[in-house]
Amino acid sequence: MADYGVSRVIDVRGEVCPVPDVETKRAIKGAKDGEILKVLVDYPLSVERIPESVKKLGSEILEVKKNGGSDWEIYVKVKKQ
Amino acid sequence: MIFSGFLIGLIFGVLLQRSRMCFNSAFRDVLLFKDNYLLKMALLAVAVQMILVHLLAQMGLIALAPSGLNWVANIVGAYIFGLGMVLAGGCASGVTYRAGEGLTTAWFAAIFYGGTAYAMRNGGVFSGVWKWFQGFGVAPFQYFDQTTGEGFSKLYLQKTGQTLPSVFGVNPWIVVVICAALILWYVFGTQTSERESKIGLKTAAVLLGAVGAFAWYFSELVGRNYGMGITGGWSNIWSVWLSGKPFSWDGLSVLGIVVGAAISAVMAKEFKLRMPRNPITYVQVMGGGIIMGFGATIGGG
Repeated sequence: MADYGVSRVIDVRGEVCPVPDVETKRAIKGAKDGEILKVLVDYPLSVERIPESVKKLGSEILEVKKNGGSDWEIYVKVKKQ
Repeated sequence: MIFSGFLIGLIFGVLLQRSRMCFNSAFRDVLLFKDNYLLKMALLAVAVQMILVHLLAQMGLIALAPSGLNWVANIVGAYIFGLGMVLAGGCASGVTYRAGEGLTTAWFAAIFYGGTAYAMRNGGVFSGVWKWFQGFGVAPFQYFDQTTGEGFSKLYLQKTGQTLPSVFGVNPWIVVVICAALILWYVFGTQTSERESKIGLKTAAVLLGAVGAFAWYFSELVGRNYGMGITGGWSNIWSVWLSGKPFSWDGLSVLGIVVGAAISAVMAKEFKLRMPRNPITYVQVMGGGIIMGFGATIGGG
């Protein structure tokens, strides 16, 4: 299920808020329309925040996948107006 | 009964971990991200606790004993504390519950924060600065006369720190109603940022506020006229560690928060030893911890 044709991985494991949020936003701003980003996060609060910031920027969350312990993969489809 | 501190702390730790409460993030979210979710949660919890604490005092179950009013120290201390908490990566309770979640930088922040607070109160580093600021303190207020039972208000200890009601000379309930009404208007009358979370904003705020209020009751039972106190708690843990002093109610409550947050994080499969990629972060949080301890002690909280 996790094969979205990811073009870029943003690894923010070990970082706590607001770093994962900010890095994700920065990556979206630097990406092209239609690109798929994979964000690796291990901080629970950031997992709740990132989807809201992604939506605010007009992009789409494809999946938030939890891998066992405190580790998540967030798949983002970049949309540019 | 002093162990009620540990139990209250334990419940509070679980709630903080589940609700992701953090004053540091709350202010930052509003100012930098225009997201008011956590600030609304914090303010609503304040309103709930404010009302419940005054009710407990009205029923005679507790007596309020605010620390001495000191405009200069309160404002300067709070400002310095704010600088420290940004560097340390969380406010006092934020650092405490994240220490339980396995955030290693929070351990160092908490150690230096508590150590500095302990030192300042016990003749150690910066204690002269603390004494100097105390010189600006406003004299305590006589809330009622013990022999006649008459006076301004019986919600407080006979003679204790000044409050908004005593400064403005109004009934404490008027201040409670005005503050609560402003908070409720802000929380329910303005648009809330959306966020998917484990427990909703309102549930979390009511539970946090209620546990905070019961803390006053249980701590009163061991002769301590105060609610939860993180700085005092960490300072007490240091006095136990360094000088063999006994645990106090708030020291045990801080331990409870760490353990409660750890249990909650493990159960939610969110516990992890988190280490920053850049080791300089450790230096930053230790510095932040010292500044927080300094600001908190000067500010009187």
